[in-house]
Amino acid sequence: MTLTKQQEGSNLTVFAEGRLDTTTAPQLDELLKTSLDGVTQLTLDFSRLAYVSSAGLRVILSTQKLMSKKGKLVVRNVQEAVRDVFEVTGFSNILTIE
Amino acid sequence: MRKTFQKWLFLFVAVAFLVTFGISFSIQTRQAKNNAVGLIKLKMEDARKQIVVSRENVATIRAIADATALAKARAFAKMIDLQPSVLTNREELENIRRRLDVDELHVSDEKGILIACIPAEYEGFDMAASAQSGAFIAALRDPAFALAQEPKAKGINGEIFQYAGVARIGRPGIVQIGYHPKRLQEAMEVAAIGNLAAGFRIGKGGRIIIGEAGKIVSIDDRAFLGKSLVEFGFSAAQLAGDAPFVVTLAGVKYIGLAQRQEGYTLVGILPHSEIYLGRNEMGAFLVVCNLILFAVVFVLVSFLVQRVVIDGIYSVNRSLDKITKGDLGERVEVRTNTEFTALSEGINSTVAALKNAISEAAARIDAELEFARAIQMSSLPNVFPPYPERTEFEIYASMYTAKEVGGDFYDFFLIGERRLAVLIADVSGKGIPAALFMMTAKTLIQNLAESGLPPAKVFTEANKHLCANNEMGMFVTAFMGILELDTGRFSFVNAGHNPPLLKRAGGLYAWMKVPPGFVLGGMEGIDYGQDTLQLHAGDTLFLYTDGVTEAQNPEQTLFSEPRLEATLNGEAARNLDVTRLLKHVKQEIDRFAAGADQADDITMLGIEYKEGEP
Repeated sequence: MTLTKQQEGSNLTVFAEGRLDTTTAPQLDELLKTSLDGVTQLTLDFSRLAYVSSAGLRVILSTQKLMSKKGKLVVRNVQEAVRDVFEVTGFSNILTIE
Repeated sequence: MRKTFQKWLFLFVAVAFLVTFGISFSIQTRQAKNNAVGLIKLKMEDARKQIVVSRENVATIRAIADATALAKARAFAKMIDLQPSVLTNREELENIRRRLDVDELHVSDEKGILIACIPAEYEGFDMAASAQSGAFIAALRDPAFALAQEPKAKGINGEIFQYAGVARIGRPGIVQIGYHPKRLQEAMEVAAIGNLAAGFRIGKGGRIIIGEAGKIVSIDDRAFLGKSLVEFGFSAAQLAGDAPFVVTLAGVKYIGLAQRQEGYTLVGILPHSEIYLGRNEMGAFLVVCNLILFAVVFVLVSFLVQRVVIDGIYSVNRSLDKITKGDLGERVEVRTNTEFTALSEGINSTVAALKNAISEAAARIDAELEFARAIQMSSLPNVFPPYPERTEFEIYASMYTAKEVGGDFYDFFLIGERRLAVLIADVSGKGIPAALFMMTAKTLIQNLAESGLPPAKVFTEANKHLCANNEMGMFVTAFMGILELDTGRFSFVNAGHNPPLLKRAGGLYAWMKVPPGFVLGGMEGIDYGQDTLQLHAGDTLFLYTDGVTEAQNPEQTLFSEPRLEATLNGEAARNLDVTRLLKHVKQEIDRFAAGADQADDITMLGIEYKEGEP
């Protein structure tokens, strides 16, 4: 998985490319842990994310919990396969998906 | 490391080169200077000897010349005494002059007036009239008088001329001869100090300068004659001392040496360029030789160290790098010398020991995980058929765990006599934490369900409990339904799990429309909704986890929903009871995976509703 950061003031956008599963989820977790200081709007761009597993969902969920205290998390450009997972797991009800 | 080493080696070689060059240069310089001073001394010695020898020669020749001149004067006096007539016979007088081999003959009377002369024009000249001839007047009174005069240069042609005279025999008068002493002139010319310097060269560009009373009296370039030595460029101290000195004359640097001899000051000088020509040539030669030598040394040492040490270290480092990255099969095999052999063996045995320790630890962990998996498996109902006496339904479930302990589970249990709960779930993550979370969730849900709560309430309550003390942010997706065995009413709730497939009797499997609820343990305060489905005899439900649809083949293609649907509805699956159906699906998955590693637990549960109580 390839992760790319783009920061504009307190707006951070993370582009995730590839598969977000048991092996790659810790990468995203680590990146977000170290990058969220002073960030009030976090955008996860999933335009090139092909798959998300439960481990990935866990990171997204913990990030959602964290960001709901200090600002906002937006998930955008979700591809169909990932959208299905969000739908099935009920994540689409708790996430702001654009 | 290689760069550092080469930098130091280069520095060392460069310093060695500079030191060697410096030492040899200074030795050469000193030697050149000593040689130059020696050469100057030698030449000055020669010049000084020349001065002395010339003077002695001149003195000897002078003595001979004086004696000869006086002898000739006496012979002439005797001739006049024997034959006074010759004084008046010019022809005879000329004969005598020729025989005596002189240039002039003069005879005076008792008053010093010349009465017979060759050349004749001097006759009548008073000898007392000039200082030179006046010296002979004493002969008029002293019969034993004899005088050979100092040779003097004649004004007309610069030739020297000597007069010698004696008293006339038997009567007062002066007898004088005058002649040109050729040998004496030659000797004097050789001895003349002014000619001396030109005869001595020191090396190619060196020379000797001779001064007298501070003025130059002898130098190769006559233009400087008479000039002052100090004006020429020497200092008084240099001229007075005995030590070699350095002096710059007309822009040229010389090394010089002053010596004194018989009132003369001799200065020998030799140009620096000439003195150090040899040294400079030798220096250039040495630089070239040393450069080649040191370059060879540098390259050789560098090459050797590279081969003997650095390559070894790099090789060891490469191996260590691999070992650090986890390749414990790597062996260090640098055996270029004993030290490296020892190092290699040391590392190899350390790695071997480490490998042992790790594999022991891994074996222990494996054993513990195996144990954990066994506990997990044993907590699921795994005796089939579970209710042999029940005819209202047929149920079968299976879970094939992946290598790691996963978080899938299924469950079914009777609530009272007439209700059957079925559950399938998938805990996020893997390993012991997932297994523990699964045990908690499973027990919690079973307890809540057995207390008689409807499915939605069970999940709402379970979620509340699972959210508390969930530091690790784990969650579980779950689908649960409660089947009323009498009526076939199936109430169900979904917490983020894949919807089951339903096959109506005689129909095809299709996914149930199940509104998604949020995962359990993910967020507090979720109210789960509940749906109801009416089952009829022969209807079958197929519950599964995503381990089924996400099983991969070696090309990493997913088994996927369409393939699952096709398998369930395929010809081979027709008329299979749920036990066989699940086994068939597993076979199909295995066939599809074609030996690829199973990444996730594969869990399925099938239930067929047979009939209600009449």
